[in-house]
Amino acid sequence: MIIQIIVAMGSVLAFGVLFHIPKSEYLYCALNGGIGWAVYQICKDYSFGPTASSLWAALVLTLVARVFSAVRKMPSTVFLIAGIFSLVPGSGVYYTAYYLIMNELHKSTEKGIETFKIAGAIVLGIVFGLSLPQNWFNRLGRLAERKGQKKK
Amino acid sequence: MSASKDSARGAVRRQQRKYKEILHLAVSMGEELLKNGAEIYRVQETVEHVMDALGAEDYNVFVLTNGIFATVHENREDSGSMVRNVPIGSVNLENIAGLNQLSREICQGSCSIKEAQRRLGQYQEASTLPHRESVLACGIGSAGFCYLLGGHLLDCMMTFFLGMMLQSFLLASEKRQVSKFLTDILGSAMVTIGGLVLYILNFGIQFNHVIIGGIILLMPGVSLVTAIRDLFNGDYLSGGIRLMDALLTGMCIAIGVGAAIKLFQLLGGGMLPI
Repeated sequence: MIIQIIVAMGSVLAFGVLFHIPKSEYLYCALNGGIGWAVYQICKDYSFGPTASSLWAALVLTLVARVFSAVRKMPSTVFLIAGIFSLVPGSGVYYTAYYLIMNELHKSTEKGIETFKIAGAIVLGIVFGLSLPQNWFNRLGRLAERKGQKKK
Repeated sequence: MSASKDSARGAVRRQQRKYKEILHLAVSMGEELLKNGAEIYRVQETVEHVMDALGAEDYNVFVLTNGIFATVHENREDSGSMVRNVPIGSVNLENIAGLNQLSREICQGSCSIKEAQRRLGQYQEASTLPHRESVLACGIGSAGFCYLLGGHLLDCMMTFFLGMMLQSFLLASEKRQVSKFLTDILGSAMVTIGGLVLYILNFGIQFNHVIIGGIILLMPGVSLVTAIRDLFNGDYLSGGIRLMDALLTGMCIAIGVGAAIKLFQLLGGGMLPI
């Protein structure tokens, strides 16, 4: 499990490099990716389906991204885009095409609908996360700033 | 009499130039943000804030996924307008963050127009990653996702090479300006063919995981996120454009994978155990 999270952080970071994440935010983006994957796995362990797991993971990811964006004074997109990569239903698209070509239409439809469900769940998770009022996060950001000043 | 008229005309012209400059700066910043994949509301707010901070009073800005329209001082003598066509480009989060910071500084008044123009010019210069670095990053990322989706160590190694191949292909096609759809189809087909060839050569890999790891990079995660953010900020048209982009990309990947598998089936005469 821990190895999985570390690998998730690494691969999210690697793809993040391709999208030109600012160098100062590498750690936070990787952290966000790791958190997303951890939530996804934990949900799966509690026998949630892949759709519900994606929903929760996307929700947590979005909230963490907003907290980071308030604390680090960065657009939240930076963290969100990096984190969401660990949830994108790549295998769904693959298996849909694979079973379609193999003429196993039943399985193909199943996978196709599941892919759409996962994409929808990610959408819902992000929407829930984004609809919380911004000043909660601003307050968090100010709190972090004050703490930082105290340390100095 | 005529002298005062002349000086008045000169003042108007100076004003006009000033507002043109402001409009140009604001719209160029918006264009750069949009090109690098920012959400619509961020672009719109940045342009509006910059115009406000630099003293434009009556302005209108309208932003779409692939265009910006702006006018300033419609009913006055010093009016100006600008239209920009912005094709959907590659994502560069560093520039978005930097421009965000720049607009914040302009609003606080700690950055003059000249200084802002200079910094904007820096962002406009193509800041591409060194090829070797991006190819390596893609390989590592693909291998990592292959592992996460259940691949073994050997699968990950193969995915690493496929990912590097894919990124090299993407870079080459970007240089030759191949259409995005063709790139997606060919890219996913290439990864699939690579995976299947390795499988047939008896490398002992699980080709499913290898291929999935390889195509993850092509998945439209960024479009999906931006589409949702646009839609729920009320920019339905722009969100729709992005969403359509995401769906079509997903379909293109499926087509590429499917076509490659079918090709192998036909070549093997149905003998292949796939």
